[in-house]
Amino acid sequence: MKKIINRPEDYALDMLKGIYVAHGKEVKAANGDLRAYCTARKHEGKVAIITGGGSGHLPLFLGYVGEGLLDACAVGDVFQSPSAKTIYSATQEVEAGAGVLYLYGNYTGDIMNFDMVAEMCEDDDIPVHSIVGADDVASNTDPGKRRGVAGIFFLYKCAGAKAAAGGTLDEVLAAAQAAKDATRTIGFSLTPCILPEVGHPNFTLDDNEMSMGMGIHGEPGVWNGPLKTADEIAAECMEKLLADMPVPAGDEVAVLINGLGATSQEELYILYGSVANILKEKGIKVYRSFIGEYATSMEMMGASISICKMVNDAMRHQIDYPCHTPFYCQKQDEVMTGGVTDGGCDGTRGNSCAL
Amino acid sequence: MADVMGREEIPALFEAVAEIFEEKKEELCAMDANMGDGDLGLTMCRGYGALPNLLRQYLETEDIGKMLRKAGMDMAFVVPSTMGTLMASGLMAAGKALKGKAELGSAELCAYLTVFAQGIAERGKCERGDRTILDALGVAAERAEETCAADPDTGLAEIMEAAIAGARDGVEATKAMLPKFGKAVVFSAKAKGIPDQGAVAGLYLLEGMNRYISART
Repeated sequence: MKKIINRPEDYALDMLKGIYVAHGKEVKAANGDLRAYCTARKHEGKVAIITGGGSGHLPLFLGYVGEGLLDACAVGDVFQSPSAKTIYSATQEVEAGAGVLYLYGNYTGDIMNFDMVAEMCEDDDIPVHSIVGADDVASNTDPGKRRGVAGIFFLYKCAGAKAAAGGTLDEVLAAAQAAKDATRTIGFSLTPCILPEVGHPNFTLDDNEMSMGMGIHGEPGVWNGPLKTADEIAAECMEKLLADMPVPAGDEVAVLINGLGATSQEELYILYGSVANILKEKGIKVYRSFIGEYATSMEMMGASISICKMVNDAMRHQIDYPCHTPFYCQKQDEVMTGGVTDGGCDGTRGNSCAL
Repeated sequence: MADVMGREEIPALFEAVAEIFEEKKEELCAMDANMGDGDLGLTMCRGYGALPNLLRQYLETEDIGKMLRKAGMDMAFVVPSTMGTLMASGLMAAGKALKGKAELGSAELCAYLTVFAQGIAERGKCERGDRTILDALGVAAERAEETCAADPDTGLAEIMEAAIAGARDGVEATKAMLPKFGKAVVFSAKAKGIPDQGAVAGLYLLEGMNRYISART
């Protein structure tokens, strides 16, 4: 194992310490618990959106805490659920009188702890709604049992925009639900990652092998086999995504090409080129593209493709809504006229910057 | 005279539980190390060790339900592991069910056992047969309810004895079950013929309660 660390067991806390030092004006720890990562800019009367999950996925989860997105993130150890106490501390800190939405990935430990705190909030008379991202089509045929992966970004975008615009708790939940219903993801990996406290790879792939459908914690995929070309990978992924969620010709989708940690930007753009070609052939328009690292698995090599079907103008507005965090920013789009877009081919809006 | 416990006895009830887990700590940790994290004994000791004082904070509420619920929430923070969260969830659910009760009689004790198990099942999304603590506590609650239904005046100790007999049967039955949760799944093959450590912990929990209840009369 080669990692830039001090002690393996301090991986998550040392990471947090670095982030607080770097971005102390924008974020703070609640109740002395570094894992209760909160925005430093509380907006009274706004619905608070809180996420959480294990470390090892930056910029997921805490990277989306900031203006126009989320208010807090409960941070767990590498690939571990955050504790109920951390979730509770974060909730106390950012709850601003309009209720709280818990928005996180569909994993057993996370659900147990968030549900526990949601029940505690009942006693505190804090209204709480919960929704889990469950976008990984390769993880289960039953949509309720799917893992949450990179597509949660679209749920963050839509719920975050709705909350920033003054939406009620019910409206913010509805925005997240609409994005959830419209989002599908599939991922694949080329190499494993090493958990600092374990010290060796969590699975093995031969030099020429890839794993299609693998989860962001190395959960087994659909098949392991010889590495395919970008065009072939894109074709298989898009076939699976569109089989699960048909998108008629003429409709628009937002596309997220996400690197898993050790895949170059160049490769991500090669993959996006292949995806864009497939969508063009099918007559599906790209409303906006997002290309970069949005949900990683430490130094895993590989990528995921997410599509979010644009079901109405409200969703388009939420996807375009400007936001800013220490890890992600998306500027206000310039005013467009007559269907002219701000760059990119096929009418794609400019790629937003994952910093 | 009806057999009832006052709310001021509740902390002592769980002190007896803490005592039994202190005695069984090594045994539970060893069983757990064979199948999972190896921290089960520690979790039970730390959680139930803290519970009596957590309960005492809320004695003034004069409401057993509220005491259990509030102390359950506090306990969730003391023991953040899965088993800790499940125990806390059971206490919180039982607290909700016993809201407004100033005493614990036969009906309330049965309700406690039943709802405690339900709280665990709901939070852990587990069922009987999944090879968990629920396989002991679920049967125990059923036997307690049956005993109470047959004769509503059954004493508290008798109810606990029925529950413990049920838990023993439940523990025995887990020997034939395959694990569905946690790290134990990885060690599935090793599970056959040995009882689930969570179910054993459930049995000890009830034995601890009865250590207090049977001694008070």
